[in-house]
Amino acid sequence: MASSQHVLLSPAELAYLHASLSLTPPIRPDGRSPTQFRPLVAETGILPGTNGSARICFADGTEAIVGVKAEVERTAQRPGEETVFLEEGGAGGDGDDEEEEAGQGLDKRKGDASWVEMTVEIPGLRDDDSGTAFLAAMLSEALLADGEFAKRLWINRRFHWKLYLDIILISPPLSYPLPLLSLTTHLALLSTRLPRLKSEGDEDPFFDDDWAAAPYLFPRTTSSSSTPSSTTTKSPTPAATRPPITLLVMAVGNNIIFDPSKEELAVADVALAVSVTGLSPSHETETGGGTAGEKQTGRNLRLLSIRTIDPPSRLTAPGVANAANTAYGASNGTSNGTQKMAEAEAVEGVWRPPRGGAKRMVLGALVQKVLERGGVVDEVLDALEGADSG
Amino acid sequence: MNDRRRINGPAGATLAPFFDDAAPQDLDTRSTRSRPPNATRKLLLKTGVTPSASGSAYLEIETSAKPGLSGLKLSCSVHGPRALPKSAPFSPHIVLSTHVKYAPFATQQRRGYLRDSSERDLGIHLETALRGAIIADRWPKSGVDIIVSIIEGDQDRETSKLQGDEVWDMMNTLSGCITVAAAALADAGIDCVDTVAGGVAALVQDADDGSAPSIAVDPIPSEHKRILAACCVAYLPTRDEVTNLWFRGDLPASDLDLYTSLVGHGIQASKNANRVLIDCLSGTVG
Amino acid sequence: MTTTTPPTLAIPGQLLGPASRYQPGPGTHLHESNLHASLVGQVHITQPARALGPAKRLTKITPAPAPAELPTLSVTPATQLASAPSREKKKREVLPEVGNVVLCRVIRITPRQAVVAILVCGDTVLEAEWQGLIRVQDVRATEKDRVKIYESFRPGDVVRAEVISLGDQTNYYLSTTRNELGVISAVSEAGNTMVPVSWKELMDPKSGLMELRKVAQPQ
Repeated sequence: MASSQHVLLSPAELAYLHASLSLTPPIRPDGRSPTQFRPLVAETGILPGTNGSARICFADGTEAIVGVKAEVERTAQRPGEETVFLEEGGAGGDGDDEEEEAGQGLDKRKGDASWVEMTVEIPGLRDDDSGTAFLAAMLSEALLADGEFAKRLWINRRFHWKLYLDIILISPPLSYPLPLLSLTTHLALLSTRLPRLKSEGDEDPFFDDDWAAAPYLFPRTTSSSSTPSSTTTKSPTPAATRPPITLLVMAVGNNIIFDPSKEELAVADVALAVSVTGLSPSHETETGGGTAGEKQTGRNLRLLSIRTIDPPSRLTAPGVANAANTAYGASNGTSNGTQKMAEAEAVEGVWRPPRGGAKRMVLGALVQKVLERGGVVDEVLDALEGADSG
Repeated sequence: MNDRRRINGPAGATLAPFFDDAAPQDLDTRSTRSRPPNATRKLLLKTGVTPSASGSAYLEIETSAKPGLSGLKLSCSVHGPRALPKSAPFSPHIVLSTHVKYAPFATQQRRGYLRDSSERDLGIHLETALRGAIIADRWPKSGVDIIVSIIEGDQDRETSKLQGDEVWDMMNTLSGCITVAAAALADAGIDCVDTVAGGVAALVQDADDGSAPSIAVDPIPSEHKRILAACCVAYLPTRDEVTNLWFRGDLPASDLDLYTSLVGHGIQASKNANRVLIDCLSGTVG
Repeated sequence: MTTTTPPTLAIPGQLLGPASRYQPGPGTHLHESNLHASLVGQVHITQPARALGPAKRLTKITPAPAPAELPTLSVTPATQLASAPSREKKKREVLPEVGNVVLCRVIRITPRQAVVAILVCGDTVLEAEWQGLIRVQDVRATEKDRVKIYESFRPGDVVRAEVISLGDQTNYYLSTTRNELGVISAVSEAGNTMVPVSWKELMDPKSGLMELRKVAQPQ
């Protein structure tokens, strides 16, 4: 279990940490502000054998590599859908072509969730560990949530790209690796390019050998000079979206803290993983009529997914108040006594693992804080874009 | 490798031609929702169904297409608390392990016997939802296994197509898993702060004409044209707390009210399920 | 709080009463200074025992007495009430707790410790088997350094012991330092049930041979 890895903190340390994080403003052990991320080193395009790759190294020493590989795959035909007969498609299918021209305005591209395969590998955890399955599900869920991403992998009605995202954490998981893996995946997808399609219609796909002409999977609005691919021009892409990012947010008392380290997560009242995507700012200026003020307020964010992370704080050992401590003269003995001890009122400064869930207000505030215009997400996306272009 | 003992059909199998003379509107086989948008389906919940387990429960949800037929069928058994394996480290708390498994015949596509990633994912969601509900420090050094078997998935048999509804089905399944596991935990006599129950709400679009999407509680994917977003909530009614929140979809960040009311409707659905849960548990003591 | 009496039946989460009027017992928990049920079952109110003698403490100064003698609220699962006889065997699992007196059987002995299986905790027969450990220093209260495990326990003996710690990952730590704790039933090497003759000896009534044990005081 990735989130509930053992926390080696005593109840006294936990109580101290909880108290300092509940102050206004909270005091974090590493001196960051509540919304500040850990410093990181990022680079893209490090693996020449992949369609896209990235590496991010956090200051605490955790490091992840993501490689994106694409393969052409035949689309499985399902009964009940408008079946493309192979003979027709192979022969150029005049009937099909007409149909296609007629329906030019319509978005004929279809996507399927099975076209993206995501695997997460974390050292020290088994492949079939539930924690990695949860991480992979969370990351791919964000990617596929809007249904637009899978459509980008459509080649024609018979073929599609199958995208393999292999996420490998190189270092041991010193903190809950979700933000790191998500940011690395984001960068790798930003740098992913697919070969330019030369064939037309539903014939067997045939690609341009020139890698320099290969368009990006997420088209870059800044470098608009690059030749747009046939796949992207065939139908109107609704928005120049960016790959999603998943942020880890937690609440301690009334404070909302971004990108918690392992120790901070150990005293969290509630932890959420929130996936968002943002329209790139230049695109927004196009749609927003070029108003400069619009651009400064930040991106148009879209909420894609939220998952509750089981905070490891529930698995910490409780502290014992002096009043209940036998070493300080409290009566020990019968089982009734121990029961009473376990059910004492909370004492100031004595750590108690949180019980129960989170209040709706707290959850709402967490999500609101993430989705703030010009907030943390904007900063992170800006930083990542800088890393990608630089 | 060829099978020579039987007379096999030709290698390249084809479908027999079938000429459909039916009117074209019959192609749209989607049934429409007959319930009001804020009504959940009927639930059947029963505890103590597995004698050998410490606690067990069975849940059935009415199907969508034909009233009276069951849709989702879940069975949950709780084993323990029992001693942890010798290799496990010392734990001052009870160690939960949750397993969610589809029966091979539960869904349209056959499931294997090994748990696949979506089943593991459901297991983690269930664990998060239950971990907030149980009082873990009452049972030090012990473990409890919570096993949910999905005997029948919540899928509409009428629709031949797979519309990519599996992800939305998962939410319905999860909410059922949470409710049934809470009943089984209470039956096993494991201390809980409250009875936790699951509820699902979705933002659906029923018409193509670009009308404003509406919120439906306990949605059945095949009854709606399009599901824009959905959330599954595990909710503790007495404490007014949420132990697990799972949202997916695509919502503009500017419209936070939509998100809030979606969660609110999810909680409403969970409260409905909770009433059944409490009735069921009161029946066992009274 | 207008509730005057707690309900007779409870569901987890149900409000039972304010913490200012009741003490939490088994099956209940505190939340925002109110007592809530944490189990399904019947609510019991136990009045505090009035004739509680002064706590005997030899080495410790007793703290101030419990703030107020409040009745204890507890919730007991009503599985015994279930009408179906097939469910009668079903009991709520209990765990050994620190301070409990348990009955256990010795599995194996080493010079440092005796490994036992805990069979009965208080009055309840346990369903799951929990492993316990009697370390050589916990066998008796006096002359601890002269204790030899093989002169105190043999595999197969039934021992009454007290839980002193939850112990490590696998074992509860048990102690037999009190007079009434120790071996209560054992068979001799010849296979006959032995009778106690002194605090450290058992006798085989057939052969008359003595064997050494840490014998529990017969009650």
